[in-house]
Amino acid sequence: MSHSGRRGPEGSWPVAALDPIGRAKVLAATIPSAAFHHGVIDAPYDAVWPWVIDLEHSTPRFDSQVDRVVIRHREVQGDVTHLRMTATSHGIGLPFHVRIEDGFCMMKGMARLYLVVMAAVPEDGGERTRFLHMEAIPLPDTGRLRRFIQHEVDADFSNLKRLAESGFPDGGL
Amino acid sequence: MEHLVRAAQRGDPEAMDALVRELMPYVGRVCGAIALDRGDDAVQETFIAVLKSLGSLREPAALKGWVRRIAVRESIRLAGGRTVAMDPGTMPLPEVALTDVATSLDIRATLAALAPEQRAILVLRDVDGLSEVEVARALRVPVGTVKSRAHRARAAFRGRWES
Repeated sequence: MSHSGRRGPEGSWPVAALDPIGRAKVLAATIPSAAFHHGVIDAPYDAVWPWVIDLEHSTPRFDSQVDRVVIRHREVQGDVTHLRMTATSHGIGLPFHVRIEDGFCMMKGMARLYLVVMAAVPEDGGERTRFLHMEAIPLPDTGRLRRFIQHEVDADFSNLKRLAESGFPDGGL
Repeated sequence: MEHLVRAAQRGDPEAMDALVRELMPYVGRVCGAIALDRGDDAVQETFIAVLKSLGSLREPAALKGWVRRIAVRESIRLAGGRTVAMDPGTMPLPEVALTDVATSLDIRATLAALAPEQRAILVLRDVDGLSEVEVARALRVPVGTVKSRAHRARAAFRGRWES
């Protein structure tokens, strides 16, 4: 991680922090069914992150289980955007609450039926993007589902990486 | 905060993340000053430990003190210190060079010259503003140990400032 050594607001004491990837890893380590894929995408952060958080367009393209995403409500509070959206998978729509910050996006399905977290930080001065994609079913006794979710997460990350590294053809920003 | 803790205890991921955001500035200060270069890792390990064992916290009002103990423990562990109840009173205080100017880098250098357990005392006493009794309770050491260590650590700092 790269934040150690920042100066604290009180003046001089060293203050540590958690970047968006670390924040996602905390959730991945503490939600039993969580599966994640973490790696570097050879495309600039400034191209990858805005494309990813355009969820209506991005999600159906890199997640093969999602047919359609429709944003129902959007509210911006400072640096945070809150969305209410519906993601349709195999003909079934699931409402999500979404929180988007710079480098961090959490999508929580209604009744905690599904959770998606995406996190990103610039790598190599922003020329590349360190990215983490996580999915989970944050309900009790779902830990055994993790290996099934892992398969989906690996596929999603692979799709996103391929799209990003080819410059988001047919729909890039 | 109680509502947030209860929701996080039930495994609500939004509440878990909100709790992390809420506690981040405090945990960052504790971990940064004790673990130094491993501070970010200490923050991550602290939050993993906090969320994994949050169910055992019966009284949400005790959250901050409980998190403090975990943050200190993880910071000392990652900084290479001892992970069990410590006795900093028996540790030799390193000699601190008295040649630098008083800068933020100087504070960092002075902290780096102290053992992680000693940094913990200094941070809890002087940054967190805890009383000697509270520091002793947090670190599970005698109050006398806190007094002597805090005195010597501050002396090391004063030596640097006045040099």
